[in-house]
Formats: sequence, C-alpha cells, structure tokens
Amino acid sequence: MFPALSFLLLTLLVGTVLTFLSGRWARWVALGSSMLFLLEVSGLLSGFSWPGVSASGVPQYAYAESYPWISLPWLHISYTVGVDGISLPLLLLTAILQLVTVLYSFDERRQPAAYFGLVLLTCLGCAGVFLALDVLLFFLFWELVLIPMFFLIGYWGGLRRRYAALKFFVYTHVGSIVMLVALLVTAFYSHAPSFDFAGMYVPAQALGVTTQALLFAAMLFGFGIKFPIVPFHTWLPDAHVEAPTGGSVLLAGLLLKLGGYGLIRWGLELLPTGLVHDQPLLYAVAFASIIWGSVIALAQRDLKRLVAYSSINHMGIVLLAIAVDSNLGLLAAVLLMFAHGVVSALLFMVSGSMHHTFGSRDIATVHGITPRTPVLSTMMMVGALASLGLPALISFPAEFSALLATWDRLGYWVLVPLLLLVVTAAFYLWMMQRVLFGPTEGVPETARDLPWPEALAMSMLVALTVLYGILPGLLTNVIIHSPVYGLP
Amino acid sequence: MDLGTLIPQFLPEFVLLGAGLLILLGERVGLERREYFGALSLAGMLLAFLLVAADLGTPGMGGLRGVSAGQVDGAAIPGALYGFSSLGLWFQEFFLLAAGLVALAFLSRPSVERGAAVSYALLIFATLGMLLVTLAADLVYLLLALEITAISSYLLVGYTRRDPRGLEAAMKFYIIGALSAALSFFGASLLFGAYGTTSLSVIGHSWPSGSGGLASAGYAFLLVGLGFEVTAVPFHMWAVDVYDGAPDEVSAFLAGGTKKVGLFAFVLLFTVPLLLVGSLSSATGSARESIQLSLVVLALLTMTLGNLLALLQPEMKRLLAYSSISQAGYMLLGIAVGTAPALTGASLQILAHVLLKTGAFLVVAAVSALGIGPLVADWRGLGVRRPYLSAAFALFLLGLAGIPLTVGFVSKFVLFSALVQAEGWFLWLAVAGLLNSALSVFYYARILKTMYVDKSPTAEETAPARSGEPLGADGLGWGRAGAIALAAVAVVALGVYPQPVLGALGTAAQHFLSLGL
Repeated sequence: MFPALSFLLLTLLVGTVLTFLSGRWARWVALGSSMLFLLEVSGLLSGFSWPGVSASGVPQYAYAESYPWISLPWLHISYTVGVDGISLPLLLLTAILQLVTVLYSFDERRQPAAYFGLVLLTCLGCAGVFLALDVLLFFLFWELVLIPMFFLIGYWGGLRRRYAALKFFVYTHVGSIVMLVALLVTAFYSHAPSFDFAGMYVPAQALGVTTQALLFAAMLFGFGIKFPIVPFHTWLPDAHVEAPTGGSVLLAGLLLKLGGYGLIRWGLELLPTGLVHDQPLLYAVAFASIIWGSVIALAQRDLKRLVAYSSINHMGIVLLAIAVDSNLGLLAAVLLMFAHGVVSALLFMVSGSMHHTFGSRDIATVHGITPRTPVLSTMMMVGALASLGLPALISFPAEFSALLATWDRLGYWVLVPLLLLVVTAAFYLWMMQRVLFGPTEGVPETARDLPWPEALAMSMLVALTVLYGILPGLLTNVIIHSPVYGLP
Repeated sequence: MDLGTLIPQFLPEFVLLGAGLLILLGERVGLERREYFGALSLAGMLLAFLLVAADLGTPGMGGLRGVSAGQVDGAAIPGALYGFSSLGLWFQEFFLLAAGLVALAFLSRPSVERGAAVSYALLIFATLGMLLVTLAADLVYLLLALEITAISSYLLVGYTRRDPRGLEAAMKFYIIGALSAALSFFGASLLFGAYGTTSLSVIGHSWPSGSGGLASAGYAFLLVGLGFEVTAVPFHMWAVDVYDGAPDEVSAFLAGGTKKVGLFAFVLLFTVPLLLVGSLSSATGSARESIQLSLVVLALLTMTLGNLLALLQPEMKRLLAYSSISQAGYMLLGIAVGTAPALTGASLQILAHVLLKTGAFLVVAAVSALGIGPLVADWRGLGVRRPYLSAAFALFLLGLAGIPLTVGFVSKFVLFSALVQAEGWFLWLAVAGLLNSALSVFYYARILKTMYVDKSPTAEETAPARSGEPLGADGLGWGRAGAIALAAVAVVALGVYPQPVLGALGTAAQHFLSLGL
C-alpha cells in the first residue's frame, strides 16, 4: 500500500526546508507547499475508510504504517502513524490554517524566509502530533511545535515579546514533561509489549483504578496546559497578545487543539476508568475555565485579548464535552475544536488587521468603521456571530451538541455554560454595535480597507464557517469513524 | 604475561603510544609545522578507533582484531589486572571520538603559537590513559590509568605557557587533582586493608561483610576522590575555573572527554556493589542501598545545582561548564540505578555529551578566534552574522536541552524511560531529571535568543579582530570547521536513527552487568 501519511510528512518537511532556503521567493514556496498539503489531506479525506476495531478489541487506523525504530529488550519504539475520525478533521484543520496563515502574512517583510519556514514547521509539528501513534513519535512532534512558535513570538512579536515567548515556552515545556512521565508510566507499569498505541491499548486499560486515576490526572495537567485550563492559562493571553497575527492564528487554531486531541487519544482511550474516576475534577476545571474565560473576556478592551480569553472559555466547553464521557460529548468535542480553530483564526486575523489599519485594537476607542472599511467590518461581524454561536454558522452545531451532551449527564448544570453564552453573546453584539456602526471615531484618515491577501485568507475562513455551519454532516460523518465513538 | 600476548591485546593503546612518541621525536629532529603533528595524531587515533571497532566484532573488520572474540565479555579471570568488556570498548570509541575531534580542531590554533608538538603528544597520552581505564579489573590499575590521564591533562591546560589564566587554571587543576588522587588512593588502601585484594570484582562481591566500617570508609573516600574527577557537586568548584582558563580546545577535551573517564570509573567501582541491591539479606542489602542512596543524592545535587548556577552565568564558557556539571548528574543517575536499561541510557547520554559538549566548546573556540568576546551578550546577532556557525551551536544547545531529532533527545528519553522502567521510587528520579532538563532549557533558550533575536552590536562595540593570519573556512580554520561539522552530523544522525549504536550499547550493558566483571 502507498505510504500516504509518510509521503505527507515528507512533502511537508521538504516544503519547510525549501521555504527556509528560498530567500525572497519564500512566500511563493510556502504557498505552493500549503496548497499541496491541503490537496493531500483532501485526498486522504476522500479515500478515508476506517478499518474498525480488530477482533481482539484493539482499534485500527486508516493509512496505518509501522516500522521499528528503536529496539532494546525492554524498549520497543516504532515509527507508527495512522488516522481515524478524530485525527483526520484536525489534520484538515492544520492544512487549512497553514494555507490561510501563509496567505494572510503574504506581505511579511521581516526575514520572510525564516517567518514562513517557522510557520510551516509549526504546522508540520501539529500534523505529526495528529498522525503519531507511538509515544516517542508523539512526544517528538509535540516538542517540535514548541521551538518554531517560541521564535515566532520572540522575533516577530509585539513589545513584550521576549517575556511572552519565554513564558509560553516554560509553561508548555513543564506540561510536556508531566505528560511524558504519565505516558511512560502508563507504558511501563502496564508492561505493554511496545510503545505504540495498539500495543499499549489493552494493557493500559487493565491498570488498576487508582493508577489510572492518578495517570489521568497527570495527563489532564500535562495536556491541560496546552488547552489551557484555569489556573494554568496565564501564558495564553500574553503569548497571544504579543505574537504576530500568523502566530496567534496557529496558537489558537492548532496548538490549543493539541491538548484536546492528546487528552482524548492518550488519556480517554487508554485510561477510560481513570477518566470516570476523575470526573469531578474534570468538571471543576472545565467549569472554572468556562466561567473565568468568559468573565475576564467581558472586561477586555483589546480585541486580541478578548478573543484570547474567549478561547479559554471555548476550550473549557471542549473539556466539559470530553469529561461527560459520552458518544455525543466526544463528537461535540472534536467538532468544537474544529469550529474554534476556524473561528478563532478568523477573529485573530480581524484583530491583526484592525491593528494595522487603525493603529489600535482598542474596542473602546475605534467606532463606526463600516463606511470606511466595509470588508474588514464584514469579516469581524461574521467572526463575532460565529463565536457567539449563531445558527447556520460552524460553532452552532458544535456548541449545541456539547450542551446537549452536558444536559444528558449533568442536568441543570448546563445552565452555567448556557447563561454565560448568553452574556457573551450580548457582549459581542454590544461590541459590534459600537465598533462597526454608529458615528466614525478613532479611524485615521490613512485607513484603507484590507489588502487582497488578508481579504482572501479571511474569506476562505468565512466560507468554511458557513459551509460547515449548514452541513456539519461533512465533518460528523468522519468523526464518528473512531474507536472512541462506540464505547459504551 | 609476555609482550607477545600484550601487544595484540593492547594494539590500539600501543598505536597511540607510538604516535605520541613519534610526535615528540619529530619535534626533536626539527619538524615544526602543526599540520605534521596533527596528521600523525589523527592517523594514530583513527587506526586505534578501527582496531577497537574490530575488537567489538564489527563485521568486515575482523582482520584487524587484536582481542579474540572469546575474550570480550568473557568470564572474569580471578586476579586479572584487566579485562575486555564490550561496554568498555564502546567507551574507548567514545574517548577516541572526543580526542579525534579535538585533535582536528587543534589544527586551527594560531600557527605562531608554540608547543604544537607538546599539545598533541599530551592529548594522545591523556587519551591513552582513558583507553586503559576502560579495561580495568583492578583497583590500583584503575587509579594508575586515571593518573595518566590526569597528569597529561594538567599539562595540557597550561601548555601555552604564555597565558596567565591558563597557568592559573593548570595550577588549580593540579592541586585539586592531587587531592582527588590522594583521597582515591587512600580509599583504595582501606579496601585493600579490609579484603587483602585489589580486584574490583572480589571487593565488590565481598563488601560489606567482615570488615567493620573499614571497607565502607574506603568506598566513601573513593566516592569523594572520583567525585572531584566527574565534577559532582559539592566537589565541582574547580571545574568552572579550569574550563574557563584552559585553551578552548582543551576545555572541549576536558568537558567532552576526560570527565567521562571518571564516570566510567564510577561504573567499574560501583556496578558490582549495586548489582545485588535488594537481592541479599537485609543487613548486606541495606549497606548497598546506602551506597545507592549516596550516589543518587550526589547525582541530584549535581544536576540541580549545576543547572541553577548555569542560569546565572554571563560568560559563555562558564555557562557551558556549569551545564557540563549538570549533565554529569544525569549520567550519575543512570549509573546509580544500576539496571541494564539505566546503564544503557547513561552510556548513550555520555556519548551524546561527548558530541554535544565537544562541539559546543569548539564553536566557542571558533567564535573567540573571530575576535568575539567571552560574554554571552557578545554573541548578540551572531545568527545573522555567522549563520552556519550559529546553526551548529544552536544544534548543540538544542541537543543539550534534549530537543527532538538530536542525540540528546534520544539519550535523555532512553535514560528517563529506564528510570521509570525500574519502578518504585526511581520514578521520582525521572521526574527530578525531567524537571531539571526543563530548567536547563531556560539558559539554552537565553543563548538562542541572544544569537537570533537580539540585534548585532554596532561596529564600534565590536572588538577589532585579532591579529594573525586569516584562517581558512571563512576565518574559522578548516580543522575546527571540520570538527564542528562532524560533531553536528553525528548529533543529527544519532538523533534520527540511533538503533545501531543504541542496540549495541544495550547488549553491551546487559553483558557487563550479567558478568558482574
């Protein structure tokens, strides 16, 4: 069989290296490489058929490949990749966001070769995380994501970029370490024959309840920092505010999803009993994130900070959907991760464009921009409406199913996220009313509407927001082809 | 025991000895050019490397074999002074690798500098001592071999004779070295007094029975004496000053090469006592546990303090010196646990450190040859000014920090996996090690930030380049550039595909422990 996933990773690697080396042609190389990436993922999507769970109860993967890598009597590590209904949509998201990020920053002037190379490297790392089915390979890609993002924030970022880059690095690195220890303990204490997912699957589930609960809690901490969960979230607003727009898009759109994906793949699937045992903890953390994220978002004047805090809120809902441990919840979690990836990317682009069009992201001073910049204003409106969960836009089916799953398990507790959604929606409407409409204020004479690369990038996201909002089945039909979706 | 059996068995060592003597002879008859001495040393080291590879049973090299296959990892002969373990032979390869890289870089020392022949000869003699250590089966043999290395390296630190900092470092190194040797020999004499033998294996198996506290005191003295050698905290104070004052290439050799000899001496001394932890009666077992505990405490202190102090260093060489101290802690951790997986991890970590630290110090040598100052801050914007050199340095730092696709990642992964695999309280050692490596990322990232994010100093701020003839390879010198490139390639190659070396080390560690040498 054709090694489709290795080929994908190889083309990504070649594209990244070429971009680094291509000097002033870097943006074109990056664009070509991103289009190829999207094309390849579309190919994977069209040929996707999930082989199901084997007779011995071990999940199997589409396009699976496995080659031995390190082999010692006590340590068996392999290069194992594969996809199922959980990873494939996130891989698609990676391809989409890489393309729109390259497009959006098409006119980057500072060291363009390095900038585009780092963007592509970040996406390569994320794609690797979604494909890897071996502890070492997974961890390798997981760590690989850190380095380019550190440099993207540290070199192309805003005024406090150094502080933000270092804080990002330290927080996420500590998270990775805890995650790694938890994964190693899972592998060794269960005496799994190998480090790949299939080898660990049955032994890990047979671990004792206490061990599983402790390991799951450790994974919650490790993956949770990426989520980010309250109270380990403080790196996120700093990193987002200081990062260049392209960096913010990848950070919110992809990096946060790594945490959610990891918790489902390596936490929930390997340690289902641990999850059930830790449910109270998960609920507490999820509610804290939901409440804290939205309440703090309400107090922000900086649009970028506002979007950053609302990301904490949305990822809290993802965690809640995972925590309720039902088929619907998991479907909602993956769908919501995809939706948040698209919508937060759009909103970060809007705030980036707002900053260099008006010289400010302050929603309290810039008013009535629609007559002067109608395109930007349209994008902002779609982004805000999608974020507050308007039906027929992508977040609605995701948030609706997440809340439905919560209702099934927790009953009236669902009112907490629901009411906060209403408050957030009101806040967004009020913001739009002030920023988009009304008398024009705080808009410099020189302000021009969006340049074409930015407009094109955002239009693509808007199109996806509408497309998947009307036809969420395009995604859900993929997501249900996963071993998780079928657990009792 | 006649020369007829000794020469084939010690062929690599004799080759090195011959090369060293030829160099000294060459200087007497009036050869002056550094290149001759360099070529001779490199040829000798390469030949020795191949001979050891043949002894290791590398296919296609059987014709070079000096040690018959049965002798490698063969049963220990009672009363033997030396024995051939495949783990020891692997360490010989590591040491020859470090020495070869440094010899290559030595080629780019300024040609006006005196003492080319002496420095090469001393490098070779130090390496010879290192090779001999790995074969030790006897306490006195071990300590004497260590002394060969030590005395050569004191002289190496001060060989330029012009630089007062170098001389001060050599003096400090000598005094500390003498103290360490005295402590070690005193410990050895206590062990001899307790058991009437100097065989490592016999002592290891007898301890702690029937000697009162005498043998334990002997081990304690040896622990301290060798602790100086491997720069274990709290016996580390000398290392930073010595690495700082020594010529840059010599610092590379000290940090990347000679320190590892002390670590292998730890393996030889403490593996047998540790081997039987837990499997013996309670009194014996608890004594062995106490030695394990003291090794663990030493390791934890070393890595933590090394890292903390590295955080505060404004000078590049001192920072690398502290980072080298902390790395010794990781290796000691693997040795202290004493299982085959942990020993495999520690060995790979030692190989990784040989490549990474030698490479990093050689970059420092190259940068200082370019006339850039000793402070980290002087390296501002180097990434733009010197893209290839900076990329190599970044690679070494990422390797030291344990970032994927470098050998440093694989070695830490294997080492910490082994600690988890050992189960019980060793899990917490893995956590401590990982937290430490997170801590170390701080100062490596700070250097990366300085090189790539900060602006270059303006023309007035930069010191004028040193006088002297311009070197090849864009001012770096071909030898130095070649050594750095070789180390960088090895770092990536072993990071991507470690299996050939790692698999062999795993088997070697297994054999080493199962023999109990």
